[in-house]
Amino acid sequence: MLPDSEMLRNAARAAAAELTGRGVKDSQKLVSSGLIDSLAVLKLISMLEKKLNIVIPAETLQPEDFDDVALIVETIERVGRAGK
Amino acid sequence: MAFNSLTYLGFLFVVVIVYWLFPAGLRRALVLAASVVFYASWNVVFLWVPLAVATVVFLCGRLIQANPSQARKWLWTGIGIVLALLTAFKYRVFLIANLSHIGLELDSTSFSTASSLIFPVGISFYTFEAIAYLIDVRQGRVKMPGFVDLCLFFFFWPNILSGPILRARELMPQLRFEKVFEPRFAFEGLDRIVWGLVQKNVIANVLGIWVDRGFGGQSWGGLSTVDGWFLAIAFGLQIYFDFAGYTNLAIGTARLVGVQLPENFRQPYHAASPADFWNRWHMTLSRWIRDYLFFPINARWKGASLPLYLSLIGVMALVGLWHGAGWGFLLWGAMHGVYLSVYRMYEGLRGGGSSAKDGGISAGIWRLATLVAVIAGWVPFRAPSLAKAGSILGAMFARFTWRLEYGEFFYEITLAVTLFCAIEPLILRALEEADEEAGASGLSMFRIVVRPVAYLFGLTLFLLFDQNHSQFIYSQF
Repeated sequence: MLPDSEMLRNAARAAAAELTGRGVKDSQKLVSSGLIDSLAVLKLISMLEKKLNIVIPAETLQPEDFDDVALIVETIERVGRAGK
Repeated sequence: MAFNSLTYLGFLFVVVIVYWLFPAGLRRALVLAASVVFYASWNVVFLWVPLAVATVVFLCGRLIQANPSQARKWLWTGIGIVLALLTAFKYRVFLIANLSHIGLELDSTSFSTASSLIFPVGISFYTFEAIAYLIDVRQGRVKMPGFVDLCLFFFFWPNILSGPILRARELMPQLRFEKVFEPRFAFEGLDRIVWGLVQKNVIANVLGIWVDRGFGGQSWGGLSTVDGWFLAIAFGLQIYFDFAGYTNLAIGTARLVGVQLPENFRQPYHAASPADFWNRWHMTLSRWIRDYLFFPINARWKGASLPLYLSLIGVMALVGLWHGAGWGFLLWGAMHGVYLSVYRMYEGLRGGGSSAKDGGISAGIWRLATLVAVIAGWVPFRAPSLAKAGSILGAMFARFTWRLEYGEFFYEITLAVTLFCAIEPLILRALEEADEEAGASGLSMFRIVVRPVAYLFGLTLFLLFDQNHSQFIYSQF
């Protein structure tokens, strides 16, 4: 079972802050603003998979699916699966 | 009907006036009719090609949505058909010539071949839009619209020739044409159109006269180091002002009917790194490559280093070939793949992070190295053969001689445009600030005096240089 939305949101905030090296507001655009690139998005996905013990099928997604914290939560809820 | 012609400006004037006089319900029909007339004006024989692409996307998209279990099959069927069309028109001659010589035809021309073949204009661009559309339907990002809506998307005349390459989700909602006229549509559109005409007809075309002489000259074997650099820089400036000029005309045209197209350029020669260059040059192509090639490939490999470097070189080589069927384009793309890989390796060694943006000596070195590498890359892109490209690159980097063999005007115009490029961000900032001073709807000296005078000056320059009707470089791709 996937973690609840609040847990996903906290994990997304933490991963985004770790990648950018600073605190990230929920509405802050990460990819379209150039703050992180597509490779950093892959790192973000990997961090979230480890933190939350879930699987995110990244090959069916696009970097802008991870453009802000709300979108990250929405994307995981849409396509994420619980890990083994 | 080229964007930089009086015929087109007349066509645009009539269509825009009628568009705003029409009720919203009739505008879609008007835009579709205008788009078909515009495309047919290039070559009526090829009108069926974008229609066929729209039909394939419509049928395969519907099948993808209707049969989730067979979605993959219909996705690849659709992609296969549109790529087959592209290959048949654009790469057939190149493939036959090279396969018959088992790859030994390395001296085949690139730039000159691309411009001499006849194929449906814009096919490279709407093929990429079609592939993106099918993948977006497969991933549930867009719903399939009616066939007429889809035709409107593919035929939309402001961007059918050479982009910007659009996603369905950014253009489709705007194609209802329900907006009420606002003066800013006219100002923003005319700003772009006048500046685009000056960029193309005045700056790019004048540089192009010298670039054509230099790259087409017979004495390239004895080219000096200074002339090699000036020639490469002049072409770098020519292609930038040519394509940015086209893009401004496309964005400005769409703005006149209230549609907002995405930007394609952001001062690319100010890039801080090879990766940053592709965030500033042909941005909608970079976005397409990132979303539909680079990201899915590397997602499969979880961003591992070796697949990352190989995919960068492979994908960029394909991007080179997308520009045209020639070894020069392939080499240009592969060079950029190598630049990007080297930069990623450097970032990896530093432990990640955006080193080039951090400031300091290494940032300065990356900025300079990127500029030099990008300019060097333009040589195989433009040279009529790999042998000539090698000779020019040899003059630039190995055989140092200092003769100046072109007319003084060539050096002066190249230096002047280089200086303009260097201060372009400052000029744009000053113009934006002047425009914002009066607020959203107020009047200012800038709006009532400077802007009309600038339009008049720009159009006068365009008319003075109008005798040189060269086509846009990217309309050949």
